[in-house]
Amino acid sequence: MHLKSKINSALMVCAAAGLALTFTTISKTAPANESLPLGKVPLTSAGALAFGPNGILFVADSVGAQIVAIDTQDAKKAKAGAAVNVEGVDAKIAALVGVPADQIVINDVKVNPISKNVYISASRGKGPDAAALIAKVDTTDKVSVLSLDSEHNAAVSLVDAPESKATGRGGNPRMQTITGMNYINGNLMVAGLSNEEWNSALRSIPYPFKTAEKGATLQIWHSSHGRYETQAPIRTFVPYNIGGKPYVLAAYTCTPLVKIPVDELKPGAMVKGAEIADLGAGNQPLDMVPYEKDGHNYILIANTSFGVVKLKADKLESYPTIGEPQRTDVAGVPYDKVGNLQNVQHLAAVDSSNVLVMTGHPGAGPAYNPGPPVGPINLNTVALP
Amino acid sequence: MRKVSLAGAAIILLWGMIAAAQNISLQFTGGAFKVAGWQAPSNPPSQGWSSVFAVFAGKGDVPPLLGSYAVEGGALVFHPTYPIAAGVEYRAVFHAPAGGAPVEKAFAGPPRPTNRIARVERVFPSGDVWPSNQLRVYIYFSEPMSRGEAASRIHMLDSAGKELAGAHAVFLPGEELWDPDFRRLTMTLDPGRIKRGLTSNEAIGPPLTEGAHFTLVIDSDWHDARGVSMVEGFRKAIRGGPAERTPPDPKLWTVTAPRAGAETPVVIAFPAPMNYPLLQRMIRVSGPNGIVPGTVAIGREEREWRFVPQQAWAAGSYQLVADTGLEDLAGNHIGQPFDLDVFNKVTERIETKTVSLPFRVR
Repeated sequence: MHLKSKINSALMVCAAAGLALTFTTISKTAPANESLPLGKVPLTSAGALAFGPNGILFVADSVGAQIVAIDTQDAKKAKAGAAVNVEGVDAKIAALVGVPADQIVINDVKVNPISKNVYISASRGKGPDAAALIAKVDTTDKVSVLSLDSEHNAAVSLVDAPESKATGRGGNPRMQTITGMNYINGNLMVAGLSNEEWNSALRSIPYPFKTAEKGATLQIWHSSHGRYETQAPIRTFVPYNIGGKPYVLAAYTCTPLVKIPVDELKPGAMVKGAEIADLGAGNQPLDMVPYEKDGHNYILIANTSFGVVKLKADKLESYPTIGEPQRTDVAGVPYDKVGNLQNVQHLAAVDSSNVLVMTGHPGAGPAYNPGPPVGPINLNTVALP
Repeated sequence: MRKVSLAGAAIILLWGMIAAAQNISLQFTGGAFKVAGWQAPSNPPSQGWSSVFAVFAGKGDVPPLLGSYAVEGGALVFHPTYPIAAGVEYRAVFHAPAGGAPVEKAFAGPPRPTNRIARVERVFPSGDVWPSNQLRVYIYFSEPMSRGEAASRIHMLDSAGKELAGAHAVFLPGEELWDPDFRRLTMTLDPGRIKRGLTSNEAIGPPLTEGAHFTLVIDSDWHDARGVSMVEGFRKAIRGGPAERTPPDPKLWTVTAPRAGAETPVVIAFPAPMNYPLLQRMIRVSGPNGIVPGTVAIGREEREWRFVPQQAWAAGSYQLVADTGLEDLAGNHIGQPFDLDVFNKVTERIETKTVSLPFRVR
């Protein structure tokens, strides 16, 4: 077969599958949590967070174009029923670092899966000189800020883009805002949005980090009506088992939800995936928390515009892929709006019964796009709905 | 009650001093808080120095300010981890180990700046006709700005001056995409409305209806990074144009070659406007000796790319090398439309990373 015909055939297969994914390299599972060197944590910004093995906290530094792994040394198993409930966590962080509360911008929140202590990435200030902060809220609700002068840490650079023209201030205007990370089988999967080109990549970085190992990139496509393919950035994602197989469930910035099989992610492979729902326009998904309750599977999804929804995720394998022209919309996989969770900015998994909810008053923008919340920002551990 | 400004040199002014030890004063000097008039032991008490002296930067039940302690010349000194900030009232509290009423003193941070200096310098696309499937808008400010305000400060109005809101909102909500200097903000028009085949595209249509008139409005209330509003707001009239569905095709670009010995530019004319930031970095000139250093300028409402070399052109064969990621206004990039119609145009996908256009300098 002629090469061009081969490519076209492959593309048609992928188009029929609804989603094509090329995966160039993936490392073998690496031994986890070798001790990291003690030293200054070189964070210039602190964005998306993810926990790895044994209390390793991954921090996305979009301004510094790197991911930093911090060994929190916080791997003591929590007591049963451990929970965090703090009103005005923004004001408490502000008091620790000496700024008005409105100068604290909270970027992400995650729960240490072992200790159940809560970690928050934030910035002290709203401009380019804002300092990166990692705050910790323990299960006695005590708020502290990690000293970034001395922690066990390691970093991996994400710089691989062609250098753009310098701006008047000497900076490079191109930046990848990292929107979501997950540690899966020895690899840190990283999703991001570029502030320039549209087709951002999903990256897979082996952990422990290796020098000059920036990880593999995946080109993600999704389709609608099985006809129009778009190369679009993933906004948030979670590992998820469907029919006994490991998948990545990924929510895109124009709100389709797709499933991508993890075990087919092999060098050079083109992997079939499927769009299973579309939450609609004028919205960005923020966080997803999968869980099981009363024998049923659900995925709690926080959104910028649509509030919190509870996707009914039983037998996701039974939902059709987009193999032929058909509409995929909110009817793909059914969901309910969770009305009692209002003004939710972030969700973080706690345990099989509870979820951590970060809430705040809507910002000053219109209802569909209020912008960042105004304080007080509250943390509450609530029962999964 | 009078607060003490920290803006000047060390200032000492007592406030609410109820202590029995009248000779103890709390001072702010050299960026640190100091207990004067109390002979500090060389070692901290069993509960730590914070049980003796703490500084608070907020009201109510808040933890004390982060910092470190030192005994300097017999005086206990607290060095805050972070610099003193404008708009904060600091409260230093000293509890003498011997007992007695605490000594407290309030200090005000430096005054907030008030002079307005920031403005919107440019918005791209710079033309006034944007395709109905326009994907991204780039706003350039003269000064570093505060993040978190785009949602409330940027508006798109219809021809009647009414803001497009709710289901008709054009911009995608979510985090703001700034450059590292916070002088350029990237806004994304809702791709759910741009992408054909999605429910929202079919139900509501594309963000900017063809033929309709819009006004992009940016409020002057937007704070710069210092927390001060802009000098003035910004308005730009826009008309919705036809959807741009055809990927940029370098074969349709017109290249004007320079003359040898001159410092005149090599010029590419595009049939349709292109993405401004990507034009800055996704086309380069390769010559007999490799990549040619020089300066890029973009003109004619992003329909023209000009490149002037650092040194006068030498005669020879050159290549214009374009990254296939180069996008037009609607996010179509070379060889790849934003939403590829796999039924009709599957053969159009190009897998190469770059395309080259030769030109000759004589």
